[in-house]
Amino acid sequence: MDLLSMNGVSKSFFDVTVLDRVDFVVREGEVHALLGENGAGKSTLMNILAGVLDKDAGSVRFDGRQFDHITVKESENAGIAFVHQELNLFNDLTVYENIYLRKEIIGALGILNKKAMIENTRDLFNRLGVDIDPAALVSELDTSKKQLLEIAKALFAQAKLFILDEPTTALNSNEIEHLFSIIRRLKAEGKTFIFISHKMNEIFAIADRYTVLNNGRMVMSGDIKDTNPREVTRLMVGGKLVDAGYYFERKLGNPVLILRGLTGSGFENVDLTVREGEVIGFTGLKGAGISELFQTIFGVLPMRSGDIELFGRKINKQTIHGAMRSRVAMIAANRKENSIIPDMALLENFYASEHVLSRRRQVIRRRKEVANYDALRDKLGVKAADPLDLITSLSGGNQQKVILARWLNTNAKILIMDNPTQGIDVGAKAEIYKLILELANSGITVLFNTLEIPEIQKVADRCIVFFHGRIQAELERNDISEEKVMLCATGAANMREDAI
Amino acid sequence: MAQAEIKAEKRPRKSALKTLGNYSFILIFLCIFLTYIWVNGGATTISGVMNILRHSTVVGIIAFGMGLVIITGGIDLSVGSMLSLIGGFSVEVFNKTNSPIATLLFALAMGFVLGMLNGVLVGKVRMPAFIVTLATMMIYRSMAQYYLRAAVRKSIYNMNGQLSAYDAFYGFGQQKLLSVPVVGLVLIAVTIIMVFITTSTKYGKSVFAVGSNEKAAQLAGINVSWTRSTVYIITGVLCGLAAFIWLAMNGSVDPATLGKSNEMYAIAAVVIGGVSMAGGKGKLLGVLFGAMSYTIIDKIIASLRMDALINDTIKGTILLVAVLIQIMIPVLRGKMVKKTI
Repeated sequence: MDLLSMNGVSKSFFDVTVLDRVDFVVREGEVHALLGENGAGKSTLMNILAGVLDKDAGSVRFDGRQFDHITVKESENAGIAFVHQELNLFNDLTVYENIYLRKEIIGALGILNKKAMIENTRDLFNRLGVDIDPAALVSELDTSKKQLLEIAKALFAQAKLFILDEPTTALNSNEIEHLFSIIRRLKAEGKTFIFISHKMNEIFAIADRYTVLNNGRMVMSGDIKDTNPREVTRLMVGGKLVDAGYYFERKLGNPVLILRGLTGSGFENVDLTVREGEVIGFTGLKGAGISELFQTIFGVLPMRSGDIELFGRKINKQTIHGAMRSRVAMIAANRKENSIIPDMALLENFYASEHVLSRRRQVIRRRKEVANYDALRDKLGVKAADPLDLITSLSGGNQQKVILARWLNTNAKILIMDNPTQGIDVGAKAEIYKLILELANSGITVLFNTLEIPEIQKVADRCIVFFHGRIQAELERNDISEEKVMLCATGAANMREDAI
Repeated sequence: MAQAEIKAEKRPRKSALKTLGNYSFILIFLCIFLTYIWVNGGATTISGVMNILRHSTVVGIIAFGMGLVIITGGIDLSVGSMLSLIGGFSVEVFNKTNSPIATLLFALAMGFVLGMLNGVLVGKVRMPAFIVTLATMMIYRSMAQYYLRAAVRKSIYNMNGQLSAYDAFYGFGQQKLLSVPVVGLVLIAVTIIMVFITTSTKYGKSVFAVGSNEKAAQLAGINVSWTRSTVYIITGVLCGLAAFIWLAMNGSVDPATLGKSNEMYAIAAVVIGGVSMAGGKGKLLGVLFGAMSYTIIDKIIASLRMDALINDTIKGTILLVAVLIQIMIPVLRGKMVKKTI
């Protein structure tokens, strides 16, 4: 029986079609994998189901009832539980308080019946096979327990359909196995799951059926046993056009950065040799460990073992200041939180790092600084008039260029860019990638990280694919294809097809 | 996004309201100062006006340290107690050495040490500034009072007037140069140095950066914990200087009362001066005007022969009005800009 059927669902934001007449059917008591690349429309579809967004056209039928304009409340009451990636728990309350929030059992005189709530919570956990102390503080639980608590909470609210949005991102393999055993147990009780994940091995381990979205369209739906990881990956990627862009051959110099067995929080055993003037694109799923690797090279996070060799000098303990002095720069991810100094002018933001290196000469020479700023502003094409304007008056792309200029101004020779095109428009993205190539041509080495594989194809000499904190593949420029990268990044390349 | 770009290019150089928003402390100061002249009428004298500067010196010097601390997003409640403790011990040092120079050096060094205790706990150990300085506020004042009773065995710390250097030391506090009090000149000098540090040195910029976005400052390479520690040390040293000036002006220290509520007046002077309590924003020049505004209020109340107990009612009201003006000006400006579009 079909528990959920969404027919001809369309949605557009400001003339951009995100969902185009999508059909999506989930049967009662199955685990249904919803697949697609970033931006394929999975989240939009699920948000419509959960009542967060309203659809433009189409119909939604759930549990035998027609829902036309569903609200979050109605969706919850109908038995749909959205277990978000960002966990919606109150860290400073206990486990049972989270479960019973606004549904507390109240005894005489309006006093909370804690004993009953704790007992019921314990029963619920026993039924699930989860080992969590009902009276523990949520902040003391690790991520996997929090995720299970979310599921338990939904179960307590009598949910029929659970939407799990990339639930395994922060879990290790034992925890994933535990989560799967719980999903199987609930499935046996007749509960239904929509499972969103990029990881092929998990999908083929847990799902019964699948639906693939590509560019807002439903391209395929069927039984998992009739397909294989390679086929699914091909459907997800779909024959997208890649323009070769502005890449040009350059002569690479000597190795400038060598990593040997580098291990830190979130990644392990990374071996890599980077040559002067090389552009390397890193990619992987969220939480694959690339950002952590970058931060460790730059001295933000501590290294656990292995070593870093910079310009022939071995480093056993890296600090931000040390990295800067060895002419390494890092443009951090999340520009607003990690790069922008919002109360300061463009000029001050631009000089923030150079001032650290030249701190022996304390007095600022304004005229010279403005001249340097003007030169780099023109070189990078920053659209800004007055160097004393606040940096927050610029658009995202221009802000990012100012941050890039901040580091070029320190004479950095190795530029690490953690997701540099995040939150900036298409035109500015293209400009930033053009700049990367120009910088590389002038001898600067660039390591960057992106979730969008076409960006790597445009500029990188090499592509490093991460999976679960390890280098999964190292592809030379000519070998980089979206399909191949996706196969590695989702772990599908590890699986033998006949094993499924 | 495109709109923001256009705005950045076409914005007028500087609007009058924007300038007023940045310098609202002058507006407030002028209002209070004109009230003072109006109240005094014909009795206003140059020496009376100069006395404003003189009586602003101690709180003013302390407030500059406080301003620096507040720009990093912190607070230092211990300044009044530091003044009391350093002042008391400096009296003893002077009585033993008979040397104003040694007294000054001792006061500065002791300020450095007391400030460093705050700085290390806030900057390195990362304890909340409010708690650390609340604790040291209690500790420092109690030490000043306990030492007086247990070791000095007097009711106040009193400089020995028989010493040969006493007249020179005390005279320094009363001296005038072309009718300008010398201690006032010290305040002007501190103002110039502090404004220079905050606007024209790399250290000054890093103080603002830490207060504006700590994470971004750290990732830009700024040593955040060191920067945080230093602002408390500078505040301690300035408290040492203020204590020395106090001795030159008064010759004695009552540890129970000296510097009581000074932390509050210093914070108020900083806020009236336009420094944001959230950190990262403001100009230290305003602190001078904030401190002088409060001194003038004392004078106005004295010349009106009002009960001194009304003092804090008026000071509190002025603080509220000052903050209200600072909040209203950007709102007004926003409305004006909208209309022009």
